[in-house]
Amino acid sequence: MTKEREISMQKFLSYDRGLERFNPLARVICYDDFDTGFNGWLDLTPNYVEENYESFDSVVDLSSWAPNQLSSASMRFASSHGSMEGTYSLKITTAPTGGPHTEPPRNGSMGHAIKRLSRFGNPKLIQIEAWYSYTPVQDREGKGEEDIRAIGFFFDVQDSEYRYMPGVRYVNSLGGKLVKKWQYYQVSEGVTPEDWNFGVKDGWCVPGVDNQWYGRRFEDGSGDGYQWLPGGEQELVYNESPDKINWMYFRLTVDIEKREYVEMQSGDQVFDMRGIKPTLTEGYASIDNLINPIFFIETDSERSVNLYLDSVVYSVE
Amino acid sequence: MQTTNTSVIARRVKISDAHATLPYEAGWATEAVIFVQAEGDHPDLAIAVEVSPDGITWVRRAGATLAASQQLVDVPVAQFGNWLRVVITGATSEQPARVLVHLNLKG
Repeated sequence: MTKEREISMQKFLSYDRGLERFNPLARVICYDDFDTGFNGWLDLTPNYVEENYESFDSVVDLSSWAPNQLSSASMRFASSHGSMEGTYSLKITTAPTGGPHTEPPRNGSMGHAIKRLSRFGNPKLIQIEAWYSYTPVQDREGKGEEDIRAIGFFFDVQDSEYRYMPGVRYVNSLGGKLVKKWQYYQVSEGVTPEDWNFGVKDGWCVPGVDNQWYGRRFEDGSGDGYQWLPGGEQELVYNESPDKINWMYFRLTVDIEKREYVEMQSGDQVFDMRGIKPTLTEGYASIDNLINPIFFIETDSERSVNLYLDSVVYSVE
Repeated sequence: MQTTNTSVIARRVKISDAHATLPYEAGWATEAVIFVQAEGDHPDLAIAVEVSPDGITWVRRAGATLAASQQLVDVPVAQFGNWLRVVITGATSEQPARVLVHLNLKG
């Protein structure tokens, strides 16, 4: 009797040298360098599925977010910055429409980039990494740092039971005053769907879905959908002028088996988030196994602000 | 193979005054086509495609008219450098318009 041959492919992988500046988990699903195009990162829009292709009723105009661009980081007085390695980064931008930080986001006051993925490889952990920078448009005098309200990242995850959004937000400035503290996505106790949707009854979003737009916001920067990260004070690099940007490292790791945060790394600082859970909501129809990573930026004033992504790695283990 | 991308730079925006789209960096592309559509009734709309050294100061490069009887007009541009935007005039509070603007790039 012949021994049954075990059929398995032997893999020899040679990783791109560009991955040297990342710390991916065991399996890299996407390594997106924006020198090669948009790589599937697109604008975030609502569902145009009602009569006349309209969307659902929402206090926040979800059609209004600014278009993403492949940017050479061209500046008014400096030369083009290019990207960290190469020429192009993905630029997420806003309209010059920032309102009070205690109100719902105004039309166009945020920009988002989303990539639409699904679960693969039966992972326990999922992780996003990026090299990024941010700056306002130099359309007026001054330093401009205080015009950037926040930058953030979250995963939109649905498994066989729950939909949830683990994410973090760096609150840079509120009402023109620098804050520089990290928050994470988690809904406060007692928040009702009507609170979440700014008074719209039977709103499409339930508390815990789309924290970046929904949930009341308060004077001190706290909100229904955001909690302050313990020890989350951090000075990111904002160079001395709107036309100078420095590339920084970001990583968020989430345990999708336990449905809890694992770690956030910003630069060389690591924030242990084990034991902290995002808010679980009942699954939505027909999106089981969905995993969408999303980056965003918010303006704090009537000035456009930009978030540049040099490259992004999504990995699982 | 070339890269192409279509961005929606005005997504069903209701206008009743001159409207300029946000500054858009398109330096990776060698050619662009701007498509301006109006949904529903609208007056004659003047379309101006503008270029810029920095995304802040602008100069007109090309133009077209979307007549009240038309739904869609296209404007091709090349050698535009890095920055592009579209300025739409002609809408008023008495005769508003709802516009949808696509920017296709290739290069």
